[in-house]
Amino acid sequence: MADELSQIKSPTAADFTAALGQVAGKVLETMFFTEAVVAPCEHSWFSSAVNVQVGFDGSHCGAMRMAVSEEAVAPLASSFLGLDSEEARESEKSQVILELANIVCGAVLSSLWPESKLLLDAPQLAPPSGLEEGWHCCLELPEGRVAISIRLDGVVESA
Amino acid sequence: MPYSVLIVDDSPVMRSFIRRVMRLSGFEVGECWEASNGEEALAELREHRVDVILTDINMPKMNGEELLRRLEQEGTLRKVPALVISTDATKNRILRMLSLGAEGYMTKPFSPESLREELERILGDRNG
Repeated sequence: MADELSQIKSPTAADFTAALGQVAGKVLETMFFTEAVVAPCEHSWFSSAVNVQVGFDGSHCGAMRMAVSEEAVAPLASSFLGLDSEEARESEKSQVILELANIVCGAVLSSLWPESKLLLDAPQLAPPSGLEEGWHCCLELPEGRVAISIRLDGVVESA
Repeated sequence: MPYSVLIVDDSPVMRSFIRRVMRLSGFEVGECWEASNGEEALAELREHRVDVILTDINMPKMNGEELLRRLEQEGTLRKVPALVISTDATKNRILRMLSLGAEGYMTKPFSPESLREELERILGDRNG
């Protein structure tokens, strides 16, 4: 889908959302060794989730927000680091979720706009707001849930 | 023959991931050195024999672009091949890093198998 997106002359919001789900799913499968499927939105868990924001600038400006449900954090960190479940330290869990956000953001933006010039900010833990803005996608994993939103504030043609 | 590797990334968990998947993939890793930016990488390279460098781009103090420039300027270090590993898969970035002397460019996400194949290609080209 993401590869096909660049071939579509005028992608719709649905095209972007589908690409978002596909790319994020591939990241989780390839580097976190878990299976993620796009799921219907259900957001009651946002308030207890770990929330991350990654701003981006350059030819395209905006931000990605990501929420990882509380119960998914430790298994994802353990899987990424090759540790037994619950073996990851708290600091490592946070670092892994920040890294997940960084990888998803870079992969999604590069897929959506392969000709762009982008600069990603360092991912930061954030309050649970803005998660439903822009293109949004919810994913269900065996370990819990992940939600991702991308808000595009502007495109600079000459960047 | 096991290869001596230098992993350059400001994220300790990413360095740990790369080290683990290299071994998981069956790639023969001997000594594995780590650095959190380009400056530390240059210091490690002056201290130890390294067969291949795996480097991120966005890092504090000295980023991956500057590291590649410095490698080109230093006679002995110029011979050490560098593989860039980044989330940035835009064409501009890939072409820029290759033009600065990187011998390969891998985008995240990547599988253990694809990492091994890329390392073997780079080292095969060097040894062949």
